[in-house]
Amino acid sequence: MSLFIKHYRPGSIFKKQILWRLNSSVAENHESEEEFRVLDILKKRDKQQKRVARRIDVPADRAEKMSTDQNWGNVWPGPRSFHPSTVPLPIRQGFVPKGQVPPGKKANAELMKIPNFLHLTPPVIKTQCEAIKKFCTEWPKLLNSEEAIEKHYPVEVITSDYCHASPTIRNPLARVVTLRVKLSTLNLDKHAKDKLLRLVGDHYDEKTDLITLTADRCPMRRQNLDYVNYLLTACYHEAWTVEDWEKEKMEADMEYYDWNNNQSKKNLVNWYHKCINKDIALSEDEYKSFDTSVIDHGEEYKLAVSSLFNDGEREETINNYDTAVRKLLGLPERKPIE
Amino acid sequence: MNFSVIKLAQNASIITKNAPLLASQFHTSTALCRVVSGKYRITKRRDKPLTYEMANPPHYIAHRKTWNSWNTSNLKDGVRRSETALEDEFIRRFMNGTWHGLVCSEIIIKRQFNHIRVAAIIRRAVSPTKMYFLLGYSEELMANWLQCPVTLELQTVDSFKDVVFKYI
Repeated sequence: MSLFIKHYRPGSIFKKQILWRLNSSVAENHESEEEFRVLDILKKRDKQQKRVARRIDVPADRAEKMSTDQNWGNVWPGPRSFHPSTVPLPIRQGFVPKGQVPPGKKANAELMKIPNFLHLTPPVIKTQCEAIKKFCTEWPKLLNSEEAIEKHYPVEVITSDYCHASPTIRNPLARVVTLRVKLSTLNLDKHAKDKLLRLVGDHYDEKTDLITLTADRCPMRRQNLDYVNYLLTACYHEAWTVEDWEKEKMEADMEYYDWNNNQSKKNLVNWYHKCINKDIALSEDEYKSFDTSVIDHGEEYKLAVSSLFNDGEREETINNYDTAVRKLLGLPERKPIE
Repeated sequence: MNFSVIKLAQNASIITKNAPLLASQFHTSTALCRVVSGKYRITKRRDKPLTYEMANPPHYIAHRKTWNSWNTSNLKDGVRRSETALEDEFIRRFMNGTWHGLVCSEIIIKRQFNHIRVAAIIRRAVSPTKMYFLLGYSEELMANWLQCPVTLELQTVDSFKDVVFKYI
């Protein structure tokens, strides 16, 4: 190019020659052989052409061309970072000292960082719900209340699913399976219930009447589910079997106070017989099967003593026992302390 | 030095003689609790441009500015912590290198399930054709390396001056 400028005299070069020189590199070498190059220190001749930044025509914002009755769901169909030229809202974000204006929506990285819900506007949610409605089935009519659900589906299995914002869909905690069942829904007799409670131990909650079995020992959820089902089945059937050694259960092994088997009943029966001047010796079984309803206030006394032992010593139970004894012995009622 | 110590060790009598000399001595002073990372010094002429991100030091995260990485691995008991952190660093370096001299903000990486959304503010210094090429190029390459769909969500500005928040 510099050679071309050097030799340029108006009118002397016609078009054809220029084209030829520009296309051929051999010609330039040929020319340089003829003439020495001049060292241009001040760069007067060959002024470096300043690179002109090409202005890119930026079209006007999309938001400015939007009509007011457009469907926003088509503009912003899915989750996306905030884009100022698409959102027709005068938004500002950023902390500034008092009296200043926060940065606007353009070139605002803070607005791009925060998750937005522009793709979940109420009309969009409505249309999406309408679209997936055909995949839903009707809720069973009979299961209209919590009690009905509890009655028909007594066993409750609790598992957790985890959702990550990372390429993995696995979480080790998803394997944990909890099974809950109400003790009252199980078909148990007196012995079986007692044995089941002894078998499950801490897993039974007295307040809610729930047996909770949790399994996390196996690596997969399905295995843990099978395991809790096995645990419940095994405990249930084990509760119904009666072993030989279970006959050796003593009064001290009882899980609750049974008034019929205790000394208190014997004392009451003996006292009653003394009162009616009847001197008879009763066997153990006869004591146990003696009907206390023949004694005046006998049932009341039985309940009071049983609750005193089973529910613990409280002001209420002690007062109850007090009144029962007074009634039984025909004593006057307790006077309130003044 | 080592040699002389060994020699000393060989001769027990010398050790006992020069015991205070061999005792380890270390210098202690109070800790200098000065936090400098993520903070910028004020220049004499007050002409150093800062973006909003730079203007707020790290202790303002979650108060005045938010995180640049959004994922569940950051949370308590999150899975894939180290992998996510490493991938994020890789994405940042790749973006800064691919869009060389064009990125005007921090690279914001948001993850949803296995979808990675990379947001940034880009200078309009190259032609739109080049920009479209770079867009597809970075998306394709990162998707191949990270084995997840990657989406670039770019915003363009005229120059660096558009993102300047203040001068210090």
